[in-house]
Amino acid sequence: MATNQVQSIKDSLKNKIWPAEDVVFKEFHTKEKYIEALYIKTISDETIIQDKLLKPFFEILSPDLFLDYLQSSPLVIPFESEQKTLDEVIKGTAILFYQNAIYLFDSKVDRNNSVLDTTVETTIQGPQSGFSESLPTNLGLIRKRYPQTSLNVESTTVGTVSKTDVMILHDTRRADTDTLTRIKQFLASIDVHMFQTGEQLLDIIKKSNRALVPVMLVTERPDRVAVNLAAGKIIILVSGSPFAVVLPTVMKDFMSSMEDIYQTYWVTKFLQILRYIGFLTSLVLPGIYVAVTSYNPELFRVQLALSIAGSRMSVPYPSFIEVLLMLFMMEMLTEASIRLPKAIGPTATTVGGLILGQAATEAGLVSNIMIIITSSVAISNFVIPINAFSFTLRIMKYFVLALGTLFGLVGVVLGFFILIAYMVKLDSFGEPFLTLIQSKPRKE
Amino acid sequence: MNRYYFYLVLLNMLINVIIFVPKILIDYRYEGAVMGILMAIPIGITLNYFYSKAITKFPEQGLPEILANSKHRWLKMIHFGSIQIIWFSAGLITLVGFIDILSRFVNPEMPKLSLLAIYLAAIFLIIQLPTERVMYFLEIVLFLNIPLIGFIIFKAFTNEYLSWDSMLEVGTHLFERPSLKSIAAATYCFSGYANLIIFNRVIKGKLKIWNFIVIFFIGVLNLFTTFFIPIGFHGSDGAQEYLYPWISTADSLRLTYSPIERVIFLFLMFYMSITLMSVSVHWHVAFELLKGTFKEKVSMKKNWLVLAFFGGCSIVGVIFLNSLILHKLTIYWMMFRLGFEIILVGSFFFWARRRAA
Repeated sequence: MATNQVQSIKDSLKNKIWPAEDVVFKEFHTKEKYIEALYIKTISDETIIQDKLLKPFFEILSPDLFLDYLQSSPLVIPFESEQKTLDEVIKGTAILFYQNAIYLFDSKVDRNNSVLDTTVETTIQGPQSGFSESLPTNLGLIRKRYPQTSLNVESTTVGTVSKTDVMILHDTRRADTDTLTRIKQFLASIDVHMFQTGEQLLDIIKKSNRALVPVMLVTERPDRVAVNLAAGKIIILVSGSPFAVVLPTVMKDFMSSMEDIYQTYWVTKFLQILRYIGFLTSLVLPGIYVAVTSYNPELFRVQLALSIAGSRMSVPYPSFIEVLLMLFMMEMLTEASIRLPKAIGPTATTVGGLILGQAATEAGLVSNIMIIITSSVAISNFVIPINAFSFTLRIMKYFVLALGTLFGLVGVVLGFFILIAYMVKLDSFGEPFLTLIQSKPRKE
Repeated sequence: MNRYYFYLVLLNMLINVIIFVPKILIDYRYEGAVMGILMAIPIGITLNYFYSKAITKFPEQGLPEILANSKHRWLKMIHFGSIQIIWFSAGLITLVGFIDILSRFVNPEMPKLSLLAIYLAAIFLIIQLPTERVMYFLEIVLFLNIPLIGFIIFKAFTNEYLSWDSMLEVGTHLFERPSLKSIAAATYCFSGYANLIIFNRVIKGKLKIWNFIVIFFIGVLNLFTTFFIPIGFHGSDGAQEYLYPWISTADSLRLTYSPIERVIFLFLMFYMSITLMSVSVHWHVAFELLKGTFKEKVSMKKNWLVLAFFGGCSIVGVIFLNSLILHKLTIYWMMFRLGFEIILVGSFFFWARRRAA
């Protein structure tokens, strides 16, 4: 490269990078040679620069030998273009100007690389640690659990402002190539300013950016990722997020916990059935209550119908208002206990659960049976192992409730099946989201 | 055993309760219904066999794809048009009949049109799905409902008030000359195969002989249950008093220990989804054929036009058809359908043979 060309690139780089407090541009001299380095010290690891760059620079006296050292160091990447160089600098790479050539010296600092405990998808047995917030560490965790040479890792960036590093992992022998190309196209087509975590993809996948049911699984467990890799799924890792995205995802994945592998067969089957029953209960119970009390009290046997009616005796308004009131309080309680600091978290549950529930019935605002229904809806809602899906379920029950209020029993049954039909309609990168017998889609 | 084919036939067998088949059969119980049922079984199986054989020569193709580059455009339009009318009216009768049942037994105070509105909303969502998705949904619905219907049938057969003598009495009228109406009604149970016109898209490979043997046994059991259980419950003379014999039968059943004591509610809840599915499957066929009639891709606007037409027809149907007129209409529709089906199967079988040769 000609001297003036290097000089002009150097000048334009210096112009483009704002001389902020942490931008370092420094020259180092020995008798025989000199080198210039440009980096941002807050995101560069200065010990790497010290050990791998400055020490050899002062120890190797001959300029040619030091050039050889630079060119053969695994940390050094040759210069490609000005734009790429700029992109690298703001991620922590140091730029070196030495003997009319430009080198990129990888000195990125790897922060937040401590492995976190699982907090969202906890299991009783099995591995207990999740991902960290550092991309290389996460990749290392997966590689350690999935020691296969066929594991392929590709890298790209997403986000026009955030320029977040994103890695796509798949097992070349097992993953479907069509799905892989679809996912790559999808990632390339994303137009978003700030990309912080994989969960953002849940909405971006829809053209309207408004999704109800998630069609990708976001997990914090390396063991789940490894199991899914072996099943031919494709994993997306996002820099700075302790969650990995698993694609394509079907409803069965949302209903499975990692514990299913760590338990005995019949226990697993029992737990799975329990989850589906929980799903059903949480979805239709409020709707059924309204339909039965307001439209068809004769549905239940007479003793039960009477005890429901008796319990509602002091309630001064129609059943759907009662249900809405209680569900509303319950949602508030759930939200509050997420937002509250851990230390006062139990207070919310005590105040809400015990005092509010007890007082509301005694004041005759809601019936006793309604309290039971609300709490069973809330409990069964959180039986769903994957959080994103359990939140979806929280919304879906209002749809069934609305139809149940308007149309009675017919509304509840049809509302349930409309939701099922909607989920059957969805697909996740070519794989149908909900089928009874989950099999690979037909090749078209 | 191809499960998708089985589902289609099974769906029609289940829905016959709504579309007046038991009523028609019980009306003719002394005038040849028994013989009619016995004759309907071979007729139904034969039609099943020939049509499935013919259409599985074109694996994973529906009729629009098979006839995509046919030169006789007018012939194709008439062909498609007539099938559409039959399929659409099948769905319409089921829908109007069931709305009537709902307003009679579940929501007597609610206007029928608002019951129709929610049904149409669900149906329109389903018929616009791709064919394989409709099939997946049908599978889920049947999976959720089959245990329930099995339980109800088990309860019916083991009920102590079931009078086997009444059934035997009707059985002695075996050698009456069968009436065409009863044959037509009984063959409806087997005519689920005709949905293969579109649903052949999801069927891979040839259908084995096992399919037809299973359908034979299920069909016999189904017709026996449909016809004889209401007679057993209400007596050989009493059974004709009811417009919907099966629903009254379900109302005579009682679950002693269950929180839901009256079986009629279980039964109706089960039929809410089965009706939804049956209408959706029939209308999906009509809808897809309509789309296949046009060469170019159907625009959103045209799509909505068709759906608006479907919706309009059902609104008119619900307003103007009361259950008695609907019942009479269904009898003639059944006979027309049987004739049409025989012509359809015959012509398609020979056409397919010539085409394949």
